[in-house]
Amino acid sequence: MELLNSIISLTFFAQVLRLMTPFYLGASAANFSERGGVINIAIEGFMNLSAFSFALFSILTGSITAGFILAIIVNLLFSLLYSFFTVNLKINQIVTGVGFNLLIAGITKFLLVLVFKSSSNTERFEGLPDLNIFKDVPFLDIVFSDYLTIFCFALIFISGFVLFKTKYGLRLRSVGENPWAAESLGIRVRIYKLSGILISGFLSSLAGIWLASNQNSYSDGMIAGRGYIAIAAMIIGKWKPVNIFFACLIFSAFEALEISLQISGTHIPTQLIQMLPYLITIVVLLGFVGKTKPPAAVGQ
Amino acid sequence: MKILFGIYRQDSGVIKIFDDEVRFISPHDAIDKKIGMVHQHFMLIEDFTVLENIILGYEKTKNFKLDVKGTEVILNELIEKYNLGLELNKKVSDISISGQQKTEILKLLYRRSEILIFDEPTAVLSPVEVKEFFKIIDTFKADGKTIILITHKLNEVKEISDRVSVLRRGKLVYETDNNRKQLDINKLSNAIVGEELSGKDFHLNKIPDTNPENINFLTLKNIHLKKKYVSALNGLDLELKKGEILGICGVEGNGQNEIVDIITGLEKNYQGSINSVTENISLVPDDRLKKGMIKEYSIGENIFLKNEKSFFITKKDLTGMSENIINKYDVRVSDVNSPLGSLSGGNQQKAIFAREIELDNDILIFSHPTRGVDINATLFIHSTITAQRNKGKAVLLISSDLDELISLSDRLSVLYNGRIVRTFGNEELRSFTEDKLLPEIDAKTNQSLYEEIGKLMIGIAD
Repeated sequence: MELLNSIISLTFFAQVLRLMTPFYLGASAANFSERGGVINIAIEGFMNLSAFSFALFSILTGSITAGFILAIIVNLLFSLLYSFFTVNLKINQIVTGVGFNLLIAGITKFLLVLVFKSSSNTERFEGLPDLNIFKDVPFLDIVFSDYLTIFCFALIFISGFVLFKTKYGLRLRSVGENPWAAESLGIRVRIYKLSGILISGFLSSLAGIWLASNQNSYSDGMIAGRGYIAIAAMIIGKWKPVNIFFACLIFSAFEALEISLQISGTHIPTQLIQMLPYLITIVVLLGFVGKTKPPAAVGQ
Repeated sequence: MKILFGIYRQDSGVIKIFDDEVRFISPHDAIDKKIGMVHQHFMLIEDFTVLENIILGYEKTKNFKLDVKGTEVILNELIEKYNLGLELNKKVSDISISGQQKTEILKLLYRRSEILIFDEPTAVLSPVEVKEFFKIIDTFKADGKTIILITHKLNEVKEISDRVSVLRRGKLVYETDNNRKQLDINKLSNAIVGEELSGKDFHLNKIPDTNPENINFLTLKNIHLKKKYVSALNGLDLELKKGEILGICGVEGNGQNEIVDIITGLEKNYQGSINSVTENISLVPDDRLKKGMIKEYSIGENIFLKNEKSFFITKKDLTGMSENIINKYDVRVSDVNSPLGSLSGGNQQKAIFAREIELDNDILIFSHPTRGVDINATLFIHSTITAQRNKGKAVLLISSDLDELISLSDRLSVLYNGRIVRTFGNEELRSFTEDKLLPEIDAKTNQSLYEEIGKLMIGIAD
């Protein structure tokens, strides 16, 4: 009963919205890449990389701002590399993506031991500053407690506008749908694919930064499949910004539920709850099979 | 054409446009010089609207935003002026083939192209749509635009063009002067087919009676089919007899593809009954790039795909299969094992065609067998189809080329709205194709029969 009360509360709902941030940033990251025709299964790795480099540089330099900027730069460099492999060398995108995920997992583990003499986590650091605008407003104080979540909500509209109302978006989508036609119209296909991947790298870096900042440290395995779930959310959301938002809500709701259950100390094993998002992904995708259609030339 | 449009670069030689020597590096350069091209396979993005497809690459913007309203005004003016009848906000995947072609045309107009290149523009159009297309071309001409029309169809050349150039194997072999009236269709056809075929007898063979017992190989009775809540077939009846070619004509989208899908078993959710003497049916599908072949596979591998007898295969066997087809059907390849997709359209079609013939099935279905195929391959395919009929096979021939249908078919059924509205018997058809050259070379056609079929096809005859 106590559990039920904690779920049907404004606080719970506020948590759901707040926890959505990394999912939505990750899903948007995946979307910008896929709209340009490149599958970015390396979102998981990109999030992992930026979470680690944010913690690393923040601790080393003692400046959150430096950590923030450097984490983004590192991700952009890796995106450039990802684009070079997939767009220029035309290496299979799935293979490249999986390769990046494994490589980044290895790098972070290695540096974790090398720099922090720990195989599990970094020391604690301050994290991003709190947003104080809504400090005294109930509900909103939890939802908008940081800048990235505010940006995330703005992103729903920004990405919708960029993809569907601007020249850039029209061209990016044309490259993902039919690069041959786009080329015949004089559009520089490679440049647009690269731009999509760079945006992808940027947005996924914000997702990783949010996660590390949220727990005030980096720990090994902390992304915990959120990058993959973000890709699932993108598919369930049919590559459309607003739909992706609702898909992300499903997943963040389960994460909030998991936290509530842990706090309330029920007898339901947490592992079972942790399993739920993945189960939901499969069930939802089964229900949507045939109804979701990716950009036509994705993966080529 | 690809050089002229900046897709390939020439090894040597000079291109002059309005007296300027040009060298194009990308299609953008060509578009800037007011050259526009409608490719045979449309360069459209199916998931985009007509408007989005048209503006792509030449977008007008207002404060970072696409200026949709402003563009709509310009485009609607053009649509009205040239009578294109397009809805700008429809998705390209939801409009007809001729609508897609008009989208391509509007794309050129929007870019203010003065030199318009059309690659096989009528290959996918029905006779009515071809007329409409020619009207549009005429208004372009009146506006002072230059039009280059690439086509395999001689009657179209005669109908629309002012000057004709014949290209064969990368060389200009024949050119007419500006006088349209003096166009000599025989000279033209000789120039096209070259010496290999000229002088040969194109007369169609008399039909041997291989079916004295009047056996039906295939019977479809009262077939109904609903696709996405729209009925595609409405009580279709069809009988295919031993030793005949049954032609099916109709405006595209009136059930042609559904008939093929039902007979070949691709579509199972239909009502009605089908009786067939055999389950093994040969099919040459309408769109060879999407169905019927795997571009990356060699001829031999594509043949093996339909081979149900052997489980294992050696490289030597595959090469043997390829060689057999190449020699027997005169398929031109640079290498025996080169991928099928690297051959020309005509040779791809010949290879698929050959595979289906070699299966030696009793029922053969040919869907648009000569679409986008050069005249040599067309003649070859036509004579092979009649030869199969003469061997006692049952042939179902679906085509949008009325000349082809009338010259080949023993009986011709007109399909409209998922139903056969009329079947012309042998006598009606033979009465005017007897002892003639292939009608596409012959200028005189039986106007009344064409008119009647035309009316039936668009559903205005009773």
